[in-house]
Amino acid sequence: MASSSHRWLSPAALVSSLIASALAKTVNYDFNVGWITANPDGAFEKSVIGINDQWPIPVIEADVGDQVVINLQNNLGNETTGLHFHGLYMKGYNHMDGPSMVTQCDIPPGSSFKYNFTIQQAGTYWYHSHTHGQYPDGLRGPLIIHDPDNPYQDDYDEEIVLSVSDWYHDHMSALIPWFMSRVNPSGAEPIPKAALINETQNFKLKVEPNTTYFVRMVNIGAFAGQYIWFEGHTIQIVEVDGVYTQKAEAEMIYLSAAQRCSFLLTTKNETDANYAFVASMDTTLFDAYPEDLQYNVTGWLTYDEDAGFPEPELVDEFVDFDDMNLIPEDEEELLPEPDREITLNVAMDNLGDGANYAWFNNITYTIPKVPTLYTALSAGDLATNAQVYGTWTNPFVYEKDEVIQIVINNLDPGRHPFHLHGHHFQAIYRSEEEAGEFDPETAEFPDRPMRRDTLVIQPDGNMVVRFKADNPGVWVFHCHIEWHVVSGLMATFIEAPLELQELITIPDDHRAACDAQGISTTGNAAGSEDFLDLSSQNVPADPLPAGFTTRGIIALVFSCVAGILGVCVVAWYGFADAGKLAHPSGAQPTSLAAVKEGAAAQSSPAAHNDDDIQVVSGSGGARA
Amino acid sequence: MAQDIFAVPVFFIVFRETIETVIIVSILLAWLKQTLDGPNKDQKAYKALTRQVWLGTGIGLFICLVVAGGLIGAFYTLGSNTWEQHEYYYEGAFALFASIIITIVGAALLRVGKMQEKWRLKLAKALESPVQTKKKGCFKHFAEKYAMFVLPFVTILREGIEAIVFIAGVSFSTPAKAVPLPVVVGLIAGCIVGYILYKGGASTKLQLFLVLSTCLLYLVAAGLFSRAIWYFEEAEWNKAIGGEASEFGTGPGSYDISKSVWHVNCCSPNYNGGGGWGIFNALLGWTNSATYGSVIGYNVYWIVVILGFIAMRYKEVKGHWPLRKAKEAPAVAEYSSSGSSNDLPSDRAKGASVVREELKSS
Repeated sequence: MASSSHRWLSPAALVSSLIASALAKTVNYDFNVGWITANPDGAFEKSVIGINDQWPIPVIEADVGDQVVINLQNNLGNETTGLHFHGLYMKGYNHMDGPSMVTQCDIPPGSSFKYNFTIQQAGTYWYHSHTHGQYPDGLRGPLIIHDPDNPYQDDYDEEIVLSVSDWYHDHMSALIPWFMSRVNPSGAEPIPKAALINETQNFKLKVEPNTTYFVRMVNIGAFAGQYIWFEGHTIQIVEVDGVYTQKAEAEMIYLSAAQRCSFLLTTKNETDANYAFVASMDTTLFDAYPEDLQYNVTGWLTYDEDAGFPEPELVDEFVDFDDMNLIPEDEEELLPEPDREITLNVAMDNLGDGANYAWFNNITYTIPKVPTLYTALSAGDLATNAQVYGTWTNPFVYEKDEVIQIVINNLDPGRHPFHLHGHHFQAIYRSEEEAGEFDPETAEFPDRPMRRDTLVIQPDGNMVVRFKADNPGVWVFHCHIEWHVVSGLMATFIEAPLELQELITIPDDHRAACDAQGISTTGNAAGSEDFLDLSSQNVPADPLPAGFTTRGIIALVFSCVAGILGVCVVAWYGFADAGKLAHPSGAQPTSLAAVKEGAAAQSSPAAHNDDDIQVVSGSGGARA
Repeated sequence: MAQDIFAVPVFFIVFRETIETVIIVSILLAWLKQTLDGPNKDQKAYKALTRQVWLGTGIGLFICLVVAGGLIGAFYTLGSNTWEQHEYYYEGAFALFASIIITIVGAALLRVGKMQEKWRLKLAKALESPVQTKKKGCFKHFAEKYAMFVLPFVTILREGIEAIVFIAGVSFSTPAKAVPLPVVVGLIAGCIVGYILYKGGASTKLQLFLVLSTCLLYLVAAGLFSRAIWYFEEAEWNKAIGGEASEFGTGPGSYDISKSVWHVNCCSPNYNGGGGWGIFNALLGWTNSATYGSVIGYNVYWIVVILGFIAMRYKEVKGHWPLRKAKEAPAVAEYSSSGSSNDLPSDRAKGASVVREELKSS
C-alpha cells in the first residue's frame, strides 16, 4: 500500500513506542451484534440492537496502553453495521475509527470484522455505530479508559458510570425515510419519546454515605442535549470528553449528544433520605412539543432502599455550567497562530427532491463510492489534492503538524454539538446566541483554553476551535445530532495523507467487507482509478429550481393559449348569428333578437334542407 | 405611521374578494337590465330576478358574517382552528361549485344574445311556475328558477368567508386598529369597480356586453376550476406535512415538489394578503405555485368549454349534436354538461306561443 519509502517514521516504530509506554495488556471482546427486544421506558416494546443478546450493551473498559481487540460478528440479518470509538485518537489506527465509507465499508450481515487498536489516552468515552444513523436503535455504550495516573485519584473512593440518552419507539430505518422526504420540508427532527438514565428509567444508584465518587457521565443519545442536576448535592467537574480539568463546582451541567463530563460527588453523612437526580431533555431543540413527551427522567442517589424515593422538585430555570470556563488540568497553552483557517457556515436548505439537507459552506455531505481513507491510501502523491476525495465529502487536506483553526458560523437557529474525530481541539471562542458571524476583531482567546472533542454552538452564533494536525488520518468533523449526520452536516479532514500511507495497511477482513458489497478499496471518491476524474461521483439531489423551468414555461404558455383560444371561441359563439339558425325539420327561426339584430335576415329563413346547412355553417364560421 | 391604521394586505384581501363578488353581481344585474328592463319588456320578471340577485347577495353576506364570526369566535375560545384544518377543502368545494355554476350560467347568458326573447319568456315562465318535484327536469328547473339567487349567494359566501378568515389570519401580525379602514376602503373600491362594470354593461350594445362579460366570467371560472383542484391538493399537502404549508411563506415546503410544474418564491396570491397577485389570481387564476393538477385542470376546463361551444354552435346550425344522427322526430329533450341548450324546435315553438299568451294576459 505504501507508495514511497522516504517517510520519516515506520508504522512499526510508532506502534512499538506506544506500546512500550505502559504495561500493556490485551483486552479481548467478542461482540455478536443482533436484534433483541427491550422496553426501557416501559411504554413500548421494541427490537433493539444488542451485543451478545444483551441490551444495554456492555461498557468497554481498558487501561491506558492496553491493546483492545474487538471481534464483531454482524448477526443483524437486515442491516449493515460498524463501530466508532468516540473520542479516541486512534493514532496510527485510523482504519479502526469506524465511520462508514470514511475509514471502512459497512460490515454486511453475516460477516465478521476485527477492530484492533492501542489505547493512547485516559478518560470517559463511548462507542457506537457510525453507519447510516443506526446507533439510536441501541448500539451505543460507554467506553471507559482507566488511568493509573489520574490526577484526582486521591480525591475519590469509587468510580461510577452513568449514561443519559433519548429514546425513540420507531426504528431509525423507519424514521429516516420520513425525515429525509419532501413531506418534512422543514427538516423537523423526529422528537424522542422519552429520556433514559443508564438506558432505563427510575434508576436507583446505590451509594454509600460519606464517600466521594468519580462519576463519569456520558450522553449517548441521538439528538437531545440534557440538563443534569443532583438534588441536595453539588458536583465538582474534573474531566470533559477525556480531558482532565481543574476542579470546577457546578449545580447543573448540560451535556449535548456525545459529550461527557466527569465530576466528583461526595455523599452525605446521613442515610435517612434518598435524593433525586434528573436529566431533562433540551426541548428547545425540538420542533414541536407533543403532549406525551417524557422529557425528564429521574434517578435516585439511593442511601437506603427503604427511605422512599421523593419526586424531584421543579426548577425555575436551567442555569447550567458554561464549559468554556473550564481550564484543562495540564494547563496546555493556546496553540500558536494557525497555519490554516477554515470557515464553515452551517445552514439548512431544501433540494429538488423536497427534502431538507444540512450544509457546511453549500456542501451537504454525500457518501463517496470508496471509503475516503482507502482513497487516501491508494492515491499516491495525489492524496494531497483534495479533489480526489470528491466534491460532496467536503474534504480539507492538512499538512503534518499544521495548526488548524476552524471558525464555525451557525446560520441556523438551532444548537449543534460539533464533534471532531481523532482529536481534542482547543475550544477558544464561543459566542452567545444570535451573535451572527465570527468577528476576529472583537474576539479574545483564553491563554489556557478548554479542550474537548464535542462542542455546542449556540443558535445563530459562532465558535472557533484550534488543533494541531499531528494525527495522520481521515477524520470527519460533524454535528453529533444523528439526524444532521443523516442530512449531511459533515466535513472530511484528511490529515497528512502521505504520512498516513506509511502508517496503515488495510487488514484483509476490512477489504472483505467492501468486496462483499462490490465496493472498491482503491480509487477516488467516484471509484475511478483516474484520480482526477470525478464524473461518476455520488451527488446530492438537484437544487430546487429557482423559478420557471422549461416545464413551467411550456405549461404557462399552454395555459395562456388555452385561455386565449377559449375566450376567442366564447366570443365566436357569442357573435355568431343565431339568426342563421337552421334546422332540417324546417322550424321557423323564433329568435326575436336575431330578427332585431337584423344582421342576417336575408339568408336564414330559407334553411330548409341539408344543402343549405353547409352554406350557413360556413358563413357562421367566417364571422368568428 | 400609515401602516398603523391601514394594513395594506387587508385592503388587498377585501378588494380582491369584493371584485370577485361584484363581477358576478354586476354582470347579472346588467344582464337583467339589458334583457328584461325597458318599456316593452317584462318588468315583473325583471324586478323578481333583480330581487333574487340582491337577496342572494344579502343572505350570502349575512350567512358568511355569521359563519366567519363563529369560526373566529371558536378559534379564540377553543384555541384550535377547525376552519384552518379543513380550510382548503371548503375553499376547493366552493370554488368548484362556483366554477360549474358560472360555466352553466355563462353559456346561458350568452345564448340570450341570440335568443333574447325566448330566454326572457322562458325565465318569466320559470319564475311563475312552482318548483316541480318531477324526477328529471327538477334540478334544471330549480336552477333556472333560482339561478339568479344561487350564483351571487354561492359567490359571496365563498369570497366573504375567505376574506374574513384571511383578514383574521393577517391581523394577527397587525394592530387591530389597522384593520377597519382598509376593509372599508377595499369594499368601497371593489363596489366602485362593480358599479362601473354595471354601468358600462348596462349601456353597451347588448351583444358586445354579453360577449365581453361572458369572456370575463369564463376566465374567472377557469381560474376557479384550476384553483379548486389546487385547494384540494394543498389540503392533501397540509395533511402530508402535518401542519400549515403557509408557515413556509412562499419558499420550500410551501408546496409539494413532486406535483409542482412551476414555483416562484414570490408573487403568491395568498401569502400575506397576496397584493396585486391576489387580484391577478381572482381574475385569471394566477398562481405562483402551479401543480400538474391545476395546470391540467385549467387546460381541460378550456378544452371542455371550447368543445361545448363548438357543439352548441354545431347544434344551432345542424339541428343535432355532433356525432349523433339527425333525428327524424326530435322530440326528446337532451342534456349536456354545458346545459340549457337543449331547446328543440318543437319546444321552442310551443314555449314561444305559451309565453305570447302569457304576455297578452298580463
